[in-house]
Amino acid sequence: MRLDVWGVRGSIPAPGPSTNRYGGNTPCVSVIDANGHLCVIDMGTGVVSLGTAVLQKTLPIAEDFGAGAGEATVLLSHGHWDHIQGFPFFAPVFIPGNTLNIYGNARSADRVEAVLEGQMNPQFSPIYTLKNLGAKINFEGIREEQCFRVSNLEICSMELPHGETTALAFQIKEQGKTLVYASDVGYPIAGASDAIIEFYQGAEVLIHDSTYTPEEQEERRYRGLSSYLEAAAVAHRAQVGKLVLFHYDQDHSDDTVDENVRKCGQELERLGAGQIEVVGAFEGMRLEI
Amino acid sequence: MRVRFWGVRGSFPVPGRQTNRYGGNTSCVEVEVPGHAPIVIDAGTGLRQLGKSLVRNGNGLIHLLISHTHWDHIQGLPYFSPLYNEGNELQIYARQPGDTHLGAVFAHQNDGPYFPVPLESLKARVQFNELLEGQQFAIGDVKVRCTRLNHPWIAMAYRLDYQGKSVVYCSDTAPFRDILLEHEFIAAPPSAGVPLDKMHEIQLRMMREKLVDLCRGADFLIYDTQFTPAEYEAKPHWGHSTPDDAIAIAREAGAKTLCLFHHAPARTDDEQDVILATYQHLLRDDDLELVCAAEGMVVDLGEGGL
Repeated sequence: MRLDVWGVRGSIPAPGPSTNRYGGNTPCVSVIDANGHLCVIDMGTGVVSLGTAVLQKTLPIAEDFGAGAGEATVLLSHGHWDHIQGFPFFAPVFIPGNTLNIYGNARSADRVEAVLEGQMNPQFSPIYTLKNLGAKINFEGIREEQCFRVSNLEICSMELPHGETTALAFQIKEQGKTLVYASDVGYPIAGASDAIIEFYQGAEVLIHDSTYTPEEQEERRYRGLSSYLEAAAVAHRAQVGKLVLFHYDQDHSDDTVDENVRKCGQELERLGAGQIEVVGAFEGMRLEI
Repeated sequence: MRVRFWGVRGSFPVPGRQTNRYGGNTSCVEVEVPGHAPIVIDAGTGLRQLGKSLVRNGNGLIHLLISHTHWDHIQGLPYFSPLYNEGNELQIYARQPGDTHLGAVFAHQNDGPYFPVPLESLKARVQFNELLEGQQFAIGDVKVRCTRLNHPWIAMAYRLDYQGKSVVYCSDTAPFRDILLEHEFIAAPPSAGVPLDKMHEIQLRMMREKLVDLCRGADFLIYDTQFTPAEYEAKPHWGHSTPDDAIAIAREAGAKTLCLFHHAPARTDDEQDVILATYQHLLRDDDLELVCAAEGMVVDLGEGGL
């Protein structure tokens, strides 16, 4: 599978020269499988660039979204703004004939639909309602551990603690290779449970929340996010191949992210896990897994 | 009176190298009056950085005028740091949109599952002031007037007058000729050659007259110029104007300086440079001065003019 990164920032888009290298858009990554099927994870403002790339056919996607003949899978970790705010600006949804199958963190399909519909309310959006979008949109609510197959991808979800709420992590497998996406997770002080580590176990690539420095984490643990120390700890315990830091604080400059990536590498060395490569996710990053 | 731009972009925030100079944050403008609580117009993502500056300055009371509640004009509010400090007070002014109380409209943005901190748990006091179209009121020594604009779900333009100087904020609006935008969703542009409904034509004419009146003799007119003329032709029902529309209103009203604002998300800095230069050339022999809003730009309207 091919992984592309379109948005890496937490909470709110952070434009400006200090975020040029890693990027200021809110979370969005895409996975394209061997069949050329598009799977989108989270729809922060990064999804706008993905929409442009899809219509310009710069990605190895089999179906023609420009002609209204595309069907994509969308996985939403949770309903916080930074994970859904790009949706009304994702160009393929305006083209009749396209289909989006959206899986969200809720008990029912209706609830997932209600979350996205609430964003389109005429007070807030000139679109007025999801029904005015051209594409056909199907909703599915997923909770706790659930597995399903889409195209050539085996997808499993797990509900992770995120402050007073939860966010879904996703495990995506193809041809014996595994990608795990775990944004917006905050573990108890004792660390991640064994069940969570098992979910991450052996992934070739783990994309993990890395919002804070350890000092910030001390004051903000209640918010349910991670520092690079927690990211390193779970990467080590789960023996992943590569750790991709993700979901940076909106106030962190590129230089701060550089520093956090470096210190995360040092932490992995200290844990005796120096073989795990750590990189900071950036807009435009591409990995073949 | 001093005008400071914190966000100048329309539709959604656009980070990246291509927006470094004009800025990628959505709409937010601050109006400073010496010895007066800050007045902020619109709460796009630019509001986040403004909030940091206010916290540093230790201000307690802040006034926030909202043109309308589309996301790009309110999405910065949950990230406005003064809201998280005891003792601060935010007075929000906006048109009463439909039959929903303003408080409920804004509460939606802070409710689960969208945001972890509900409006009622904020430490600052937040008060909502629902405005009627055409209302006049005072914020301290600043006189405020407003009139409605031609935009889906309706937006308001504001004029602020202080000690003989004036600034008008006019975003978002379509021109007042091809289509009347109110509460109905309009899926497609009107067909070419089909005459405008007579009632709509009269309503648009009156709306335009009131706007020209609001802009009369303004020292500084900030205007929605999201579209180029070609873009407008394709999307007249989206509720945005071109620099040509803004120039026509500014000339008729005798405004002194016109400021291009609410830049299209796809517009690069280089493209914006070309738009500005093109229209400045057009106005080279005109009394009307033309500038373009950029994040961080500061305009002094006090002694000595601009």
